[in-house]
Amino acid sequence: MKPAKSTSPLGRLLIALFWLGVWQAASMLAAKPVLFASPLDTVKALWALLPTGGYWLSVLGSLGRISLGFFLGLLQGLLLGIAAFRFAWLKALVSPLLTMMKTVPVASFIILILVWFGSGPLAVIVALLIVLPQIYFSTLSGLDSTDPGLLEMSAVFRVSALRRAWWIYRPALMPYLTGACASALGMSWKAGIAAEVIGTPLRSIGEQMYLAKVYMATAELFAWTLTVILLSSLFEKLVLRLLKEVGK
Amino acid sequence: MEIIVRKLSHSFGEKQIFENFELRLREGGIYGLTAPSGRGKTTLLRILMGLQKPDSGTIPQGVRYSAVFQTDHLLPGRTTVDQLLFVRGSRRDRDAAARFLSGLLPEDSLYQSVGELSGGMQRRVAIARALWADSECLLMDEPFTGLDEETLRLTADFIFAHRQGRTLLLSTHQKELLSGYPFAWLTL
Repeated sequence: MKPAKSTSPLGRLLIALFWLGVWQAASMLAAKPVLFASPLDTVKALWALLPTGGYWLSVLGSLGRISLGFFLGLLQGLLLGIAAFRFAWLKALVSPLLTMMKTVPVASFIILILVWFGSGPLAVIVALLIVLPQIYFSTLSGLDSTDPGLLEMSAVFRVSALRRAWWIYRPALMPYLTGACASALGMSWKAGIAAEVIGTPLRSIGEQMYLAKVYMATAELFAWTLTVILLSSLFEKLVLRLLKEVGK
Repeated sequence: MEIIVRKLSHSFGEKQIFENFELRLREGGIYGLTAPSGRGKTTLLRILMGLQKPDSGTIPQGVRYSAVFQTDHLLPGRTTVDQLLFVRGSRRDRDAAARFLSGLLPEDSLYQSVGELSGGMQRRVAIARALWADSECLLMDEPFTGLDEETLRLTADFIFAHRQGRTLLLSTHQKELLSGYPFAWLTL
């Protein structure tokens, strides 16, 4: 079977218009329009939010917390992964904990963190807990994928550990790390926003979404959703570009 | 530094490849190693480099080797010049490394990624790397595989030009093509 050809710009525009039309039709068919805002209502709601200070404070609040959690998780996952690769006993010790972190439902974490720390640092910790195990396991796989022949070569030539790390381990690690980051990025946003909806910390997108629910303001809910999608894809582009620079 | 191997015994499963094997390489000596395949040429070189532990026997410790391995072991995605700088030098030595390589490889290949080079060219990069590195003894495991006769001569000349008095132990199955070079031949 041949792979399908990629769609032309015109084709993509038509596809976008098609789905916007489906959305519009669905909202018109909805029994109560207030329950299902149309694309136009959504854009209007977003337009009304944009000039308000509250919108930007919420955006900054969520962006700050989630990206802080993401970077802390990335850093810790990376360092822990490297250390576990180096010391077998550490790997044996921490791997079960990280496997558990991957399997426990996010909602359980959210509630536990709310009980322990309150809603302030909630999104930071949730994003961190999502990212850390993913980065840890992919760091281990990446380092494990290093070509043993290259390691033998560098041992015979007595190449320094630092040089070996940069020229042999780093290139082996980067594809794994980039893949893990791409998926962890999206997940940290989804989980972070979900946590904010449950914990409703002040000045957060989640709080605004919760309020939209209380007032049954679906147009606003959609506007915030659109905001999250834009933020998370911008953030993803930024981080992946950063990783590309490091991977050169 | 003289390289002396004493009472080396080694086996692969049932098959005994070395039994009380003795080897003496004098400092600066030029040795060719021939043997039918499967007799342990590669194993001997790997034992010398410390990559494989023999069942028993003494091998010299602390010798600084540089090597051409059975496979090239080049850093993927890096340029030809980078392969040399990885084992000795820094960015500042780029021009020196390029000049060194130009005796063995075409100019336009020096800043190409090694993945884009032909098999024979990659082999020559591995040989140049061994000669460029700091070492007391050069171990080369079938360095001429994949090279045509003319390139083989060019490469052998290059090895002798840059040996700089270091001990050389080179395994090959093309002994007859190297008759013009001052090898002392060892057979396993």
